[in-house]
Parts: sequence; structure tokens; C-alpha cells
Amino acid sequence: MTIETKPFSLSINGQKAGPFEVPQGMMMLDFLHEYLNLTGARMGCGQGICHACTVIVENKDGSLREMRTCITGAHWFADKQVRTIEGHAKHDANGKLVALSPVQQAFIEHFAFQCGYCTPGFVTGATVFLEQLRREPVSRAKLDEAIIAALDKHICRCTGYVRYLEAVRDVALKTPGLVVG
Amino acid sequence: MRKRTILLGIAAVAIAGFAVAAGVFFGLFQSSVVAKDVATPLTADEMKRLAPRGAYIATVADCYACHTAKGGAPWAGGMPFQTPFGTLYATNISPDKEFGIGNWTRADFHRAMQDGIGKTGANLYPAMPYTSYRQMSSEDVDAIFAYLMTREPMRVENRKNELAFPFSIRRSLAFWNLINLHGGGFVPDDKRSAVWNRGRYIVDALAHCGECHTPRNLMQGMKAADYLKGAVIEGVEAPDITKEGLTRMGFQPLTLAQFMKSGVSALGSMTNQMFEVVHFSTQYMRDEDLTAMSAYLFDLDSMPATSPAPPAPAPVDVPAQVATAARATYDNLCAGCHGANGQGIPHVAVPLLTNVSLRIASARNLVHAVLHGIPAQRFPGLERMEPMPGFADLLDDHAIADLANWMRARWGGQQPNLTAQDIAKLR
Repeated sequence: MTIETKPFSLSINGQKAGPFEVPQGMMMLDFLHEYLNLTGARMGCGQGICHACTVIVENKDGSLREMRTCITGAHWFADKQVRTIEGHAKHDANGKLVALSPVQQAFIEHFAFQCGYCTPGFVTGATVFLEQLRREPVSRAKLDEAIIAALDKHICRCTGYVRYLEAVRDVALKTPGLVVG
Repeated sequence: MRKRTILLGIAAVAIAGFAVAAGVFFGLFQSSVVAKDVATPLTADEMKRLAPRGAYIATVADCYACHTAKGGAPWAGGMPFQTPFGTLYATNISPDKEFGIGNWTRADFHRAMQDGIGKTGANLYPAMPYTSYRQMSSEDVDAIFAYLMTREPMRVENRKNELAFPFSIRRSLAFWNLINLHGGGFVPDDKRSAVWNRGRYIVDALAHCGECHTPRNLMQGMKAADYLKGAVIEGVEAPDITKEGLTRMGFQPLTLAQFMKSGVSALGSMTNQMFEVVHFSTQYMRDEDLTAMSAYLFDLDSMPATSPAPPAPAPVDVPAQVATAARATYDNLCAGCHGANGQGIPHVAVPLLTNVSLRIASARNLVHAVLHGIPAQRFPGLERMEPMPGFADLLDDHAIADLANWMRARWGGQQPNLTAQDIAKLR
């Protein structure tokens, strides 16, 4: 049996990468793990349900989109700007950690995880949500509802949802311009 | 003199026409199939005896699904129906005396079910399938009445319909009935078997299959000449369920009966309104009634012992450029759940290589699923299908047309004749 492959390149965490010769039909999650050694996105359900495998696709207009990598082929990401969980914190030129992203920092402060398996997905989901708030702020009264709607699809088997919600609420309220009224 | 005669003639025709129209408007030409003896109320003992049977008949007739709003009180109505004339809301049929049918008599109920006339004498809108229930036996109507009266009264006010003029005038339905309401009660065909006749009674009267599966005329009446040949309901196609249509989709008598029982099969899963029908109605039907329906739809007097699956349709060639683009889309966005070769994942995603939606002449349902996805579905027997995401914002019209053409040609034997413009219309 021969495996059909096709070349593609992409931008991953701000760096151009590729071209890679990748089997047609290989899922993005396998590509991240096996070709790039980026293992932060988790294989959870393998069916697109739990969202532990999500990454961010940065659109040209600056908007962000969550994509599930366990059910999306690697080739779909050709020529796209992709941010994985490894791309959220700031590092200096030597690769040393300078600062966590506000979402990551808030998750730690609120101890918003237990086993941590779903956390990369929640960081991704919360980051996309906060970017969406920057474009379309919500009222304080609607904030919790908006957080729940945005993160509802992410599953945490330790049921740490309340802490996730509190952490995201904290970031939204502390960041100017995201919440109005 | 001649001029005067002509004018008088015209006036006479106009007056006669007006008189006939007024007669129709006030129901003079309305025919009734309600039995005379319903003026006599049922005794308490009769009501008690009939209620369990009514529970089953009401389930087969799927009354609950339409008369219960999502998340609403049971039997209290409120479910919206989008029609070309506006939105109708199902009414409260719980035995509440103010808002429901608690004050209705046996005769009131029969008139509503079979003539489409409510307690106050006003016409019902034909979203209530009285055109089909007209064929229901008097005993079955009594049984449903007896059962509904055992339900808990729900104090929920009926919602006002949102219909455009002149459809907002209920009397106008007298004209509709004159043209679209035909026939009397169910008459068995003594040349056919009891199974076939039972199937026809369920299909035509109780389960009112034709209401969705028969195309409608301009006035939204069922086109008798195209009986069960499929129609578009709320943007999706209720497919052709004639013997020819079912066979083309890949059904056989036993698989169809099983599909109505379980809601899932190798041919796909029930979606949209038919999912609700399985959920509230067909899964609870007796096996002999499901097989009777299937026997009738396949025009058989008895069910075969086995029903081998018909052969898959022969693949149709598509241009290489379309195949390449579609294959890439399929591999990237579909194969993760439906498998590289369309084989599906048990309990997660239906197979595509044997899927009905790819075999039917219209691509509407396939494109609808690709654009809007399908919510997670629970089926009888702990079966479940995971949600399918919609791809309306990820794929443009060209990409969807290529994908649909390729899948339909490869697995459904359909010509790849969909255009991007076709997809744009379905968005």
C-alpha cells in the first residue's frame, strides 16, 4: 500500500514552517505531535466533541477562530497562521519564558484546572473569546452568559467549569474595552 | 334592449357568484364525516376503557410532538410552524378548562379531528392534519379524546398566530376546504391483505405521512396525483416514499421498518422533523404496525422473511479538477468522522458510502447538512450520533458544489450537475 502525500507549509506560532510532505488525510493533531513535536494540543475524544485539541487560526483581519485538530486534516491549515498552546506565552530571544498570556496567568491564579488535560483547549477557547469581546464588547450583565456560550463546548472531566468561568470573567473585567456598562 | 339584457345577465351572474362565495364562506358547502352518534357523550367507564388504547393511537398520530413546545408544558401547545402564509402555533390540547380542551365535548373533538372545525365553530388551520385524520375511525378518535382527558391540565394560554391577511381570516379556510378536503372515512380495500390495509390506515390516517411527504399545490393542499412523492418542508426534503422512491434510496421492507423503529441505519440517521417523529412516535409503535406500514409503502400483501440490501448505485465520473478539490475538502473536513472511504464511525457518525442523502435526486438535504450541520441525536436503545458541525462559514459555494457533486457521483450514482449558484440559493 502506498500512502499518498502532499506538500504544504504554514505559519506556526509566528514562525514559517515547511514545506512538509504529509499524508493526505492525516489529522492536524497527529501532524502537530509527530512532525513538529508540539504536544500541548491533546487527543481527547478523537471525535471533535471535547475540544481538548483546539488550536487558533489567525485570520487576515486579525480575528481568531478555534479549530479542532483531531477531526481536521493537516492540509486544511496550509498557508494559514496557526497558534498552538505553545504560542501563547511570551519568550525572549533565548527561548526563556518572559510572561504567560493573561488567560494563562488568570487560570493559575484561580487554580482553574485540576488534571490539566483540557486546559490547552480552554486557554485557546478563552483567548478567542476575549479577542471577540475586543471587537464586540458585552455588558457586565451579559458577561457570564457570553463566557458560558463561548466555552460551553469545552469539556472538563474534573468539572472545573466554575473556576474557568471565574478566571475568564476576571480577565474580561480587568482588560479595558471588553465589557461595557 | 339588448344592452339591458346583457347588463342584467352580468348582474345575475355576479349576484349568484356572490351568493355561492358567501355560502362557502359561511360553511354551507362544508361536508362532515363526523358520525351522528358522537352527540352522545361517552360514559366514565367507556372513557376509562378507551384511554389506554388512546395513549397508543395518540403516539402513532404523534400528537405530543406538535402540541408541545420545546421546553414547554406537555400538551400545552406553543410549537411554531413556519408556513408560506406566516407562523402558526399549535394549541393547548391538555384538559385545562380555560385554555385547553377541558370543556370540549366528544362531538367537539370529533369535529376538530375530522372536519377541521374548532369548538367555537371556527375553522382550524390545516397545519393540524385533519385532512388525514378525516380517515381515522370514530373509535380511534374517541380513544384519543379519552386519553387526552386523562392528562394533567396545563394553564398555558394559546399563542396568537402570525398570519398575513387574508389568511388571518379563519373563514377563508372554507374555500381551502372546498378545494383540498376530500373523501370520507377509511375504506379498506377488500382485494388486499389485512396487513396492507392496516399499513394504509396508519400511513394515511393515523401517522399522516402524506402531510410531509406529498407535494403541495399553490394553496398548500396535498397534490393527490403526486401522493407520497416527496416535498420540501422548512428547507429540507421529506423524500419520495413511494415504492420506487424507497428502493432508489436503498431501502427494503425490513430495513425500512427497522429504520422507523431505531432512527438509524447504514442508510443514515433520521434528521430534522423525522428525527422528532422517531423520538416521539415510531420508536413506540408495535412491530406489527411498523411492518404493516412498510408492507403498504412497498405495496406488499405480506412482509418478506429477508430483505437483502439493493446493490449500491454505480459511480458516475466527475471532472478530475472537481474530484481533486472535493477529495481535499473531504479529507480535511469530513474524513475525521465519516472515514477516509465514507465508512463512518459506529455510534459517532453515519456512513456516507451507503447514505440515502447522496442517492436522492435532490441534493438539498446533503447541502443543508454540510451548511448547517446536525445536532447531537439520541436514538432508541442507547444509540447516539455526535453533532455534525456546519461548514457554512468555512466553505464557499464552489467548494460545497464540488464536494456535493463528488460525493453524490461517487456514492450515490448521481450526475455532478450542482453549481455554485445552486448552493448560494440553499444557503
